[in-house]
Parts: sequence; structure tokens; C-alpha cells
Amino acid sequence: MSSHLVEVDSAKRFNDMKTPPINPSLGIFPKSWSEESAGRIPGNIPIWVGILSELTEFALFFVAYFIAKFYYPDIFSQGPQNLHTSLGVANTIVLLTSSYFMAKAMSFIRINDKVKCEGYLWLAFSCGCIYLIIKTWEFHWNTLQGFSANTNEFFTVYYYMTFNHFIHVGWASCAILWVIFRLRRGAYSAQENSGLEALAVYWHMIDLMWILIFPLVYVLR
Amino acid sequence: MKAIKLIKLEWFLAALIAITLLNTFLGEQFSSTTLVCILIALTVTYKGFIVIDHFMELKHANKNLRFLMKCYFVIFPSLIIVSAFY
Repeated sequence: MSSHLVEVDSAKRFNDMKTPPINPSLGIFPKSWSEESAGRIPGNIPIWVGILSELTEFALFFVAYFIAKFYYPDIFSQGPQNLHTSLGVANTIVLLTSSYFMAKAMSFIRINDKVKCEGYLWLAFSCGCIYLIIKTWEFHWNTLQGFSANTNEFFTVYYYMTFNHFIHVGWASCAILWVIFRLRRGAYSAQENSGLEALAVYWHMIDLMWILIFPLVYVLR
Repeated sequence: MKAIKLIKLEWFLAALIAITLLNTFLGEQFSSTTLVCILIALTVTYKGFIVIDHFMELKHANKNLRFLMKCYFVIFPSLIIVSAFY
């Protein structure tokens, strides 16, 4: 009896060693930053580290834009007139709509309607593909007009910002496919959907960046 | 309540598209006067706030993240206004 208790006790200690208790706080941040007092973090912390890094990267592009515009105001005034504005507007509407589809997908997973959730994810993915097709067509159209990244300072900034954004939409569209695959495997439900929510906030971040890029390169003259 | 939320999302999408078209119209029809730049900057801020609060759902979520995101959409539209005075 006693040896059995010892065995149980040692097995318990062995398990405790294998899975030490997780300390959710590193203890290096003010308590006011904690999730309990500041509020829920949509998705998860790693995706927000990624989002804030991406925002910093785009912030550098925007600062570069304003500095270049300060030194070359005439070039930046003429630049947008050489672009295909309708394609820029179409892409803005496509991305805004994709954000709406993503928000709807989140609404449906919260009520465990996985069929509708998957449907809206496919719609968001389609919007991502349409954006990529339109953007590729726009780059091709620019080339036919004789414009490239070396044309002038405006086009250098334009290609720098829009091609970078293009890449982000590309890999986020691939991430949607991955999330659809995981949804079909039963990874998400009304109770646990942090992975899906992480993708949703990342997708909205990409939309937000386009909301800023669009007026800078297509509208302001 | 859920139905109201979904209808709200549709209204927000319609508002975002309408603002985009308005911005394009302003940019196409008028040279970038200071007033046009200020209008565009304000609408960009508004669009950003809608996406942050209602699509990203930060309105009732972490206040620090919401603050950071909103700061972003105050700082850069402000630079659009500043650039109008170049």
C-alpha cells in the first residue's frame, strides 16, 4: 500500500516536472498593461507583435513619402495623375469588402456556424485574389505607359509602398487558405477561435494600411 | 442583438465605400487645396477608426492596443494636413 502511494507520488512529481505551471505574466510590464485591467487581446499576443512590427515598417514608408514630397513637391503633384485611379479605387473597395467578409466570418464562428464561416473566408480569399490580379494588371499598365520604379521619386515611393503591400496581401491570402484547412479539421469553434481571430486582425491591419496608401499615391496632388 | 451587429457591419461597409468614392471625387475634381487635404485627412482618420473599432473589434477590447492603433490614424492623417502647407 505504502509502496503504491510512493509510486503515485513520484509519478505525479515526474508529470509536474514535464509540465511546469505556466506563468502568464513575465512580471516586467506595469500591471495596468495586463489583459485583466486593459481588456481582452483579440487573437493572440504573437500576432500583435507581428502587427505592430508591420505598422512600424509601413510607418517608415509613410515618413519616406512625406520627406520625398517635401523635397519634390512638383513631382508628387504630377505623379498621381499618371496612375490608373479607377484601379486604385477598385482595389480599395475590394479590400474594404474583404474586411467585411472577415468580420462576418468571425461573427459566424462565434455562433458555431462553421459552414457560413468557411463561406465568408472563401469570399475574403477571393477578394485577396481579385486585389492581386488588379494590382498585377496595374503594374503591367504602368509598364506599358513607360513608368517604372526608376521614373522619378514619386514612382520609387509608389512601387516601394504598393509592392510591399501586394506581398502582404499575397501571404495573408495564403494564411486564409491555411485557416480554412484548420477550420475543416475542427480546430475552431465558438469556444476556441483565437487562431482565426489572429488572422482576422492581421487582415484588417492590411486593409488599414491600404486606407492610408490610397489617398497618398492616388488622390493627393 | 446579433442581427443588429450584422446590419451595423453592412452600414459601416457602405459608409467606407462612400467615403472612398468621395475622396476620389475630391482628388479628381479639385486641385489639392488645403481644404481638400484637410477633408481627405479627416475622412482617412474616420475610415481607420471604423475599421479599428468595428471590424478589428478593438472598441471593447484591449485599451492599449486601441490607443496605439488610433494614434497611428491621427499621426499620419495629420502629416497629410501638414504636407498641404509645403
